[in-house]
Amino acid sequence: MAEIQLRNVNKRWGSFVGVDSFDLTIADREFLVLLGPSGCGKTTTMRMIAGLEDITEGDILIDGKVVNDLDPKDRDVAMVFQSYGLYPHMNVYENIRFPLKVRKADPAEHDERVRRASAMVELDDFLHRKPAELSGGQRQRVALARAIVRTPSVFLMDEPLSNLDAKLRVSTRAQIKNLSHELKVTTVYVTHDQIEAMTLADRVVVMKQGKVQQVGTPTDIYDNPANTFVASFIGSPAMNLMDGTIKDGTFTGKNVEINGLSAADGEVTLGFRAEDAGLAEAGQKGQITAPIYTVELLGDAVMLAVKAGGQLVSVKTTKEFRAEIGDEISFAVPSDICHIFDRASGERV
Amino acid sequence: MNKKTFAAFVGPSVFMMFIFIALPLVSVFFESFKITQPIVEQQEVETCTPGFIGQTCVTEVKTVPVLDENGKTVTQTEWVGLQSYRNVLQLDKVGDAISSGNWGDILQIDFWKALRFTLMFTLLTLPLVLVVGLSLALAVNNAVRAVRGPVIFISLLPFIITPVIGSLAIYWLFVGDGILTSLLERWTQTNISMFAQAWTIELLMYFFRVWNNAPFAFVIFYAGLQTVNMDTLESAVIDGASRWERLRHVIIPHLMPLIIFISIIHLMDVYRVFEEIVGFRSQAHVISLQWLTYDFLVPDDAGNRAISRASASAMLTMIGIVILLIWPLRRTWLDHKGGAH
Repeated sequence: MAEIQLRNVNKRWGSFVGVDSFDLTIADREFLVLLGPSGCGKTTTMRMIAGLEDITEGDILIDGKVVNDLDPKDRDVAMVFQSYGLYPHMNVYENIRFPLKVRKADPAEHDERVRRASAMVELDDFLHRKPAELSGGQRQRVALARAIVRTPSVFLMDEPLSNLDAKLRVSTRAQIKNLSHELKVTTVYVTHDQIEAMTLADRVVVMKQGKVQQVGTPTDIYDNPANTFVASFIGSPAMNLMDGTIKDGTFTGKNVEINGLSAADGEVTLGFRAEDAGLAEAGQKGQITAPIYTVELLGDAVMLAVKAGGQLVSVKTTKEFRAEIGDEISFAVPSDICHIFDRASGERV
Repeated sequence: MNKKTFAAFVGPSVFMMFIFIALPLVSVFFESFKITQPIVEQQEVETCTPGFIGQTCVTEVKTVPVLDENGKTVTQTEWVGLQSYRNVLQLDKVGDAISSGNWGDILQIDFWKALRFTLMFTLLTLPLVLVVGLSLALAVNNAVRAVRGPVIFISLLPFIITPVIGSLAIYWLFVGDGILTSLLERWTQTNISMFAQAWTIELLMYFFRVWNNAPFAFVIFYAGLQTVNMDTLESAVIDGASRWERLRHVIIPHLMPLIIFISIIHLMDVYRVFEEIVGFRSQAHVISLQWLTYDFLVPDDAGNRAISRASASAMLTMIGIVILLIWPLRRTWLDHKGGAH
């Protein structure tokens, strides 16, 4: 069990900045997700915690002890990799046992510990198989078992579900969530998939170009995005963002007019979530009125899109709703579901 | 690729291999069971020399080859079964040596002397070539990017030099008044003769072959190291494996197919060792099976070549290579079958 502190951690390769002034304390037993697009520095941050990457500047502390100069093996961390990182010539049993062997754990305990770890990930029947004879999901479970077998202080998971197909991803995700609940070990999990982040995390760190954009609980980040990047990265579909002007509490843009906003006058970006808005009541004009650009049947709902404020804006309606492309439609977008961002900086106003 | 295209591509190569490899091999195989000798006849020749009283005549019986109408020696070929093999192996002498307990006498017989050196040379240089090649590859792989190019170039130089030239160069360095011998003599203040006894010659031969072949292993291993799964290697780092454990549990198993490949090539190549014997002029002390075959083919004083014994020796050399290759080929086959799951 361990608390991890990152104090002004920087990683630079020449003039390229990989991670920029990363400051964060990850509480003991917390499940923290680093979320962001490719190249945002999330994996580099995790690799610096693991000791696989040197820190250019700053300090990393595990349980109050600076670990900058410690070898990965001395940091008491376990890591699960995207492409599993299994030893192909060893069977499942030997793969799980390997950390115990090289760390010279008491040989009398090996068997019991391997079997306990394999039982936790439901691999008991595959112990004699080689990795090549396993499916992607089973291989990732071997990697998980190998990580938990020596009960480390910190779990690091680098996009562990990315190589799995959609169905397997859901079941393995549930397994990771369950394991984390059972083991109660501080976990840092890297992903570019916001659904994984929302479902697994106690807290999410959203990153972009090496910089932390927002740190918060999944609900915080979803409900109160700190800037337009977070707003557009979290949620499916992404938050609707429209450019326009606020004057005397009224947002005006092409095909859109929303009253009752409490922001100062100026050029802004206004955002709202598709599921928060709805159709205007019959005979009434809503805040956005435009011809339908596209109709998407999702099964549980119908997604309508129109062009407003220079952007494509989506609104979720009931699954029974039917309309044709080109039909004039009016959406109700009350001011209390709107988020206002500064147009230039993208920061929340 | 359909069968026709496949046949069109490999056909010419298979045809050439049949003409230049398979047919001569079959021919050598049959030659080893036959002996071709010139037909000779005995003629009475009277030689007279003039003397004081009268001439003195002596009648001699001479063995002379029978000539045909063109003046060429007429030969006859005889099917002798395993006689040539017996002549090469000299099993009766081996039996005598064993029964008398003088095991060392076996190594006085040319074939066994050559086999001893060939086997030792092959089996001792193999691990050395693998270890030196892998060490070089690891060193270059871990070296700073800027020095990799020059290091690779320098490492490959021995491989570019032809074995005869290379062995001659080493010979000239260490021969009686060679640069290195002179330096060593000056340094140690003792008289050094590297080519006066068998073991020093052999030592130089081992050194030369490892120096010459290690770059090949290095290039193959270096290419193999580029394909090591970094996630697996980093997993081992996190799991707590030391450098040696990572080499043993991750890198070497990954390179195993290449180790087998290099071993097969090395065994086939080195078992036919020849150039060193010529380059180091070691015939008086150390000979190899390939050199023995060559020696049988060199015409003797009467102009005869022991073709049948050369054929038997060549066949025995080939059998030796096949025996040595059984283990690596079997392993490759099993890996192939295992990988087909």
